[in-house]
Amino acid sequence: MTSNQFTIASPPTDAISALKFSPTPGSTRFVVSSWDKNVYVYDLRDENGNLGEGKLLQKFEHRAPVLDVCFGATEDEIYTAGLDWDVKRIDLATSTQTILSSHDAGVRSVVYSKEHNTVISASWDNTLHVHRMSDDRDTVVASTIIPLPSKPFSMSLTATKLVVAMASRALHIYDLKALSILTGESQGPNPSKVEVEPWQRRESSLKFMTRSVACMPDDAGYASSSIEGRVAVEWFDPSAESQARKYAFKCHRQAQEDVDVVYPVNALAFHPIYGTFASGGGDGVVALWDGIAKRRIRQYQKYPSSVAAVSFSSNGKYLAIAISPGYESGKDDVVDGTVKIYVRELGETEAKGKGAK
Amino acid sequence: MGKKRRGPSLEELLAQPFCYYCAKIFLDLKILISHQKAKHFKCERCGRRLNTAGGLSVHMSQVHKEQLTAVDNALPNRSSLDVEIFGMEGVPEDVIQSHNQRVIAQYQQEEAERQSITGNPPPGASSSGGPPAKKPKVENISDLKKRLAEHKAKKAEARAGGSSGEATPVGAGLTPTSNVAGFSPANPVAPSQAAFSYPQPYGGAGSPYQSTASPVYPSFSPGGQPQFPPSTQYSTPVGYSPQPLPGYGNTPPQLHQQQPLQANPPQTAAFPPRTGSLPAAPSLPQRPAVGAPQVNAYQLQQMHMGHPLPGGSVVPSIPNGERPEATPFSSSIDDLISGAAKEADQAAAAHAALKPAETVEEKPSKKDKSKQSRLVYSDNETSPEEKMARLPRYAFAPDRRMETTLEELPPSAVVGTIRESETIVDPAQ
Repeated sequence: MTSNQFTIASPPTDAISALKFSPTPGSTRFVVSSWDKNVYVYDLRDENGNLGEGKLLQKFEHRAPVLDVCFGATEDEIYTAGLDWDVKRIDLATSTQTILSSHDAGVRSVVYSKEHNTVISASWDNTLHVHRMSDDRDTVVASTIIPLPSKPFSMSLTATKLVVAMASRALHIYDLKALSILTGESQGPNPSKVEVEPWQRRESSLKFMTRSVACMPDDAGYASSSIEGRVAVEWFDPSAESQARKYAFKCHRQAQEDVDVVYPVNALAFHPIYGTFASGGGDGVVALWDGIAKRRIRQYQKYPSSVAAVSFSSNGKYLAIAISPGYESGKDDVVDGTVKIYVRELGETEAKGKGAK
Repeated sequence: MGKKRRGPSLEELLAQPFCYYCAKIFLDLKILISHQKAKHFKCERCGRRLNTAGGLSVHMSQVHKEQLTAVDNALPNRSSLDVEIFGMEGVPEDVIQSHNQRVIAQYQQEEAERQSITGNPPPGASSSGGPPAKKPKVENISDLKKRLAEHKAKKAEARAGGSSGEATPVGAGLTPTSNVAGFSPANPVAPSQAAFSYPQPYGGAGSPYQSTASPVYPSFSPGGQPQFPPSTQYSTPVGYSPQPLPGYGNTPPQLHQQQPLQANPPQTAAFPPRTGSLPAAPSLPQRPAVGAPQVNAYQLQQMHMGHPLPGGSVVPSIPNGERPEATPFSSSIDDLISGAAKEADQAAAAHAALKPAETVEEKPSKKDKSKQSRLVYSDNETSPEEKMARLPRYAFAPDRRMETTLEELPPSAVVGTIRESETIVDPAQ
């Protein structure tokens, strides 16, 4: 049961900041944002629709390193965020780039909610920008600036909720509908600053800085990871029973001699079908977990450098793994050929939970 | 210090279960079984853990319609499905035999290595077969005080009664064992020279000598060195005791050594008198006043020497009698005590010497308990991305373009928020 794995040709030249598969069913397209200021669009299918080892379709240069990217309503539009402080929409078909808004500092994350036709960006200027898009998504119909108590580090959404993980272990869960309505009230393209009380305000279950957060595909809860080799799984439902189910576990650690070397857990991604999730750590290891049964499903052979991002394809058949050296140490130079994107073709049940036993 | 267990005995090693398929050794049968279920009897398709290879085979064929041909993760010659293994059950006898042989061979090799490193006896040969080097040290430390007390008692006793009476018999018992035979025929003179020559080559050999001789050769006394070498070497000096023997009985010689030495600082002078020192024995009581303080000053053991001195005249003979039983080498209380002090040091040193081997074993386990962890990324306030963003090569200075929908901010605020702009010329706002 060896799963096929291959590397993608022409990867970015500098560290990878984000990698996302297209949510469009059956699509094998994915986007990658990099510190080399480019956003790359790849597809595993060639022009004839045959599945291959993936090729680079397009590349969009930005003025500064790009920190996050996500697909929009279709797989022909993407939204990017980066150190140029801008939130951009890029139409892949026409290659037109539109700036939705600009923050006052680097923009760490960007997400798109299909259900509410809304783009939300989180920036180190301690704000969220909520952009309500026009139906053709060419323009921003309305937008709101929502102040945050701390710097946001990671963001993830479901059909109804937005989870923002911030510094000081703060975590806000917003109700997307409320955000959407609120934003709809503001008129015109000029953003209005609105203090919004999140649906839930939580303190991270992890003692250390939150590294990544990812929501369950069934909209029941989310997983978060920290720089201290740990992952927490929690549920949205504020009832005592649901909250009692939350737990955290250690991972991405290596016992060296007598010291436990603890790596940050840089990336989390849920499997769209099985609801299991993958974690990628600074140790170069990717592990699959069954969050319900609280079991590790499998752990893949160590990759040559730190895992920067992981993503499942919409059909759950592929797992893309982006590795970049020195991602956490902030090392000064990136050696050529050390930034890689692996795509793993998963077996039928490779990412499926086993069920409690 | 209690004896340290340095590892499982061979019996324990042989009793440990091992996995038939991969030869891994386990501490516990339960763990072995769970290992086998996880590594060798686990279904690749659904992850179900079966109890035996046969069970897995049936499961594979029934559930997944597949034929299991070999046991996973097994050694090449052990992957057969024919052998029904569960834990240690079903393991063929010859496999067990060869495994045991391997364990034994390995054990012996490790044992030999350890012995060569530490010089320790094999675990089995603890008390009886223990090397002389280590045992006496331990014993002496613990028993010393008792012996000292006994000695004092005897001393007092001896002071009350006649010294020689008791001493000689015992000493006589001693001398035969030592090389009386060899030396006794020798002339009184020759032995004396020999006796004199010994202390030097042996350096710290006879601590008693040195302690007394120290005024002359101070270097010797600190050289007190190992007291075990003395024990062996001493026997030769003892040899010359025969020389006085004929005249005075053998035990006193050791006493004499001290007496004359302290009385006459020059060593050369000290020895000749020694032979004739016995007559001086009665005069010993004087000695304390003269010689003792000097000697004491040199020796660590000075305070101990203080004890013998009062009874100096009588002392030596009696301790001689006792010592041979316990420690062959010590002849006088000074010796004993100085020896004790040194032993303490040496024992410590010896332990220190031994420890490396032991501590190497101990330390990891200690640390395991309180396992320290080291964060690869430990900045809890600033994310890696922010750190990278501050690197000059990623620096970006925003130009406020009008197409943005964001309201203009005061330039100062802009500069303040962007750190990398510090290193960069800020373009026109």
